[in-house]
Amino acid sequence: MHDGIHVENAGIPSVTICTDRFIPTAKGMAKMWGSEDYPTIFTQHPIENMNREQLRQRAEELAPQVVGVLVGGQ
Amino acid sequence: MQDVGETTTVVWNDALEAIERCYELGWGDGLPLVPPTQGRVAQFLEAAGKASSEVVGEIPERRREITAGKVAANAVMAGCLPEYMPVVLAATEAMLAPLFNLVGPSSSMGGSAVLVIVNGPVAQKIGVNSRNNLFGPGNRANATIGRAIRLILMNACAAIPGLFDRSVIGHPGKYTYCIAEAESETHWNPLHVERGFKPGQSTVTVFASESPRQVRSVGHPEAILHAIADTASSLGTNMSTSGSVGSRDAGVRQGEIVVTVAGNSALWQDWTKKQVRDHLYARIRRSVADLKTAQVFPGEVEPGDEERYVSLIPEPEDILLIFAGGEESNMSSVIPSWGPKVGSTAVTREVK
Repeated sequence: MHDGIHVENAGIPSVTICTDRFIPTAKGMAKMWGSEDYPTIFTQHPIENMNREQLRQRAEELAPQVVGVLVGGQ
Repeated sequence: MQDVGETTTVVWNDALEAIERCYELGWGDGLPLVPPTQGRVAQFLEAAGKASSEVVGEIPERRREITAGKVAANAVMAGCLPEYMPVVLAATEAMLAPLFNLVGPSSSMGGSAVLVIVNGPVAQKIGVNSRNNLFGPGNRANATIGRAIRLILMNACAAIPGLFDRSVIGHPGKYTYCIAEAESETHWNPLHVERGFKPGQSTVTVFASESPRQVRSVGHPEAILHAIADTASSLGTNMSTSGSVGSRDAGVRQGEIVVTVAGNSALWQDWTKKQVRDHLYARIRRSVADLKTAQVFPGEVEPGDEERYVSLIPEPEDILLIFAGGEESNMSSVIPSWGPKVGSTAVTREVK
């Protein structure tokens, strides 16, 4: 979140992907930096036990949302 | 830097009401706090010769500047005496040093506490316990200095459990975790002298770490060191998991470790600290076969993996050895780091 917010503030469109168990932490960090509207995509927790193929599949599912935020100005 | 931390002034009628009000404000670790009255906080600042607004350090990722006033308020709430303030200040300064990388160990799922080791004359002067029950209850300086550090982390550095402190299980040292070395009871050079300070200087060393693992081997030195090395090599520490061990190609980059040795120092008369460290360093390791079985390394166990070892400590000097604990028995403890050395490094600061 911290890095994404700073990249965004530097003028480079960004989006952060975060698992849903970390929603309070992500929102807390955005609030701390005065960026409550910073675009964050939440995905189902956990991902740490996934193998490469499962992780790729999750990334493909999220890709349209990422593109939507980056080029759609959402 | 903008300080987004809040300062709150509250009026109360009696002490119990004040304690309850502290709970309502969300301050603290769950135990009752000493109300930080303006007079008491001023007394602590005076003891340290500090102005309230003086900046001790910062945690830039959370936009927080930590002032002496905030350190004093939390030291009061923890139950410290004014004369403990220089130690609390030095420990705060140390954990806010860039090498310590506080944002990592204070937020990580791995869950560390900040171990505070006090060395030099100040330990005896203010009565920091280095002997029986040094990690346990019953001594004001140990209990309240360690607690003050936790309160500073929570109240001033925003390390709030469930918010920015995402420790999955935590550990009891997160309430308080402060010890001293029994310097006068051993021929070994104390930790702060090994780290470049003079014997007459007082220091604190902060170390982001797991809880102590007790080692009950009490025989001759080689047997004790064998048990310490075995404990330090166990799978499941932050030093032997994938995030720390990493790729075999990347070289060793695991963490530091604190080892406490108790009892009668005469047992160690033929050993220097360096000899102990070298002996342990050669034995704190794990086979590639074990690391593969634990899925620290990828792939199936292959012939020869049982005989190939990976060291879990970067250098012998990364073993912080101290003589501390009760005189009753030669028991020891192993305190693994929170993570790899690149993630957080022990920092020593002089107590002024």
